[in-house]
Amino acid sequence: MYSSFKAEKEHHPADFMVCTIARMLKNGERIFHGVSSQLPMVAMKLAKALYAPEAVLLNIPGGISSKAYRVSDYSSAGEELWENSDGIFPLEKVFDLSMRGGLDVAFLSGVQFDVKGNVNASVIGSYNKPKVRLPGGAGSAVLIPTVKKAIIWRTKHDKRTFVEDVDFITTRGNIYKIVTPLCVFGYKNERLYLEAISPYTTIEEVKSRTGFEILKTNVPTLDEPSKEELRILRRIDSKGVRYKEFGN
Amino acid sequence: MNTKIKVLREAINLIKDGMTIAIGGNVLHRAPMAFIREIVRSNKRNLRIVKTAGGHDIDLLCGGSCVDTVDAGFVSYETEYGLANYYRKAVENGKVKANEHACYTVICALRAAKAGIGFMPVRGLKSSELIKENEYFRVMTDPFTGKNITVVKSIVPDIAIIHVHECDADGNAAIYGPRFDDELISLASKKVILTTEKIVSKGRFSRQPQNVTIPGFLVDTIVIAKKGAAPCSCPTLYDIDNKILKDFTQDRSQEMIKSYLSYYENQDNYKGVGVNTFVF
Repeated sequence: MYSSFKAEKEHHPADFMVCTIARMLKNGERIFHGVSSQLPMVAMKLAKALYAPEAVLLNIPGGISSKAYRVSDYSSAGEELWENSDGIFPLEKVFDLSMRGGLDVAFLSGVQFDVKGNVNASVIGSYNKPKVRLPGGAGSAVLIPTVKKAIIWRTKHDKRTFVEDVDFITTRGNIYKIVTPLCVFGYKNERLYLEAISPYTTIEEVKSRTGFEILKTNVPTLDEPSKEELRILRRIDSKGVRYKEFGN
Repeated sequence: MNTKIKVLREAINLIKDGMTIAIGGNVLHRAPMAFIREIVRSNKRNLRIVKTAGGHDIDLLCGGSCVDTVDAGFVSYETEYGLANYYRKAVENGKVKANEHACYTVICALRAAKAGIGFMPVRGLKSSELIKENEYFRVMTDPFTGKNITVVKSIVPDIAIIHVHECDADGNAAIYGPRFDDELISLASKKVILTTEKIVSKGRFSRQPQNVTIPGFLVDTIVIAKKGAAPCSCPTLYDIDNKILKDFTQDRSQEMIKSYLSYYENQDNYKGVGVNTFVF
């Protein structure tokens, strides 16, 4: 699927995404991931181990900064996130924290994104007569407008995902970064812009797989996952749950 | 003596067509599946289902044609098992109305209910088409600041169904591990039905009353349901049943619903327990 991904020589796009995300997280930040969020769940643990030892890791079941090395192979809302934690701070409290301006980072996703920073996690087609009913935005509609840094990850990068106009605006604006297997988008002046590309792709490939026009093309190339990062990943995610969204 | 403890087939009569039902747990964890299956077996119709984030429970109810409306922030299995296809198809065919919330607006709607008020302001919901598409969201003026604030209409469930680890005969109930939004839904709902892994003796909690998540005086009915969350997990006791969930989510037929229900028939109608089998 990823034309630029050559398994023998290059790292899996999930490894690239996890490391890229982990490097964005800062020491002391309060960071939340929700359901169906295994890739950011692993990235948060990696950041805590390497870059942000005092980060506060929050999740739906509520265990604060769980130290358990066990990660669930099917869920990012399970009891593994409750065990060996510093205390209990469940979803309801995380939402309230964000509403009053106290949440630093939240990980969210969606199915369509457009250049104006609109996010669709609701429907393909019309809201009341959808062609496809999607799972729904979960916390996105209230978290993206209130959290300090909304980081969106999406393992698909194609013209159906990055579109001219989304079918439905589940939420919009205040996007800090969008991380895909190919690149990182930033958001400024109410517009997504290309910020950096993966070491395993080219500007041409990013352009050809993005449904909106990319204006700025002179952008840096991100670093590959380091040996140290991969060593920690093998320990904190021995089952490889970070690959789940890629279907392998 | 009146007892709150009932067998599943008796307790199911509390559910009437058209009721608003709040379901405990979160996605694949501690959903009250034994009771959900009995709702499907009893052909209940036109239910309005309320949950912050649902999965197998809402999917099965939609597959069983029990649902009119779903109020939820997220309905899906997690990555491993894909979308909730019975739910999805029912919405796409126009049989079920999906009232999409942010999970937090379900929480706020239930907070309004537990406080006995008609709506709740929600900071954060401001740049979403969900506001204009759904009548349960309105934008009004904050009377103190003059600024716009979105409000969500309260949701008062007729019945909450919650699966717990243990409770006594009065319904004083303990949930170990993540509680999700279960305390909130027990406070917001008119009636509470517990399904429980086991009944403990009265006085079990008296030395550690803080372990009681839901006090018995809010509980109307108790059903003993060993492995009552399966094939979902019951944190601290058992994990999901991967094979059942895989089979269920890879099929979209009515035959699957039937064979799934019959697979659990014996387990759900746990015969070891009845009104008269326990002496307290």
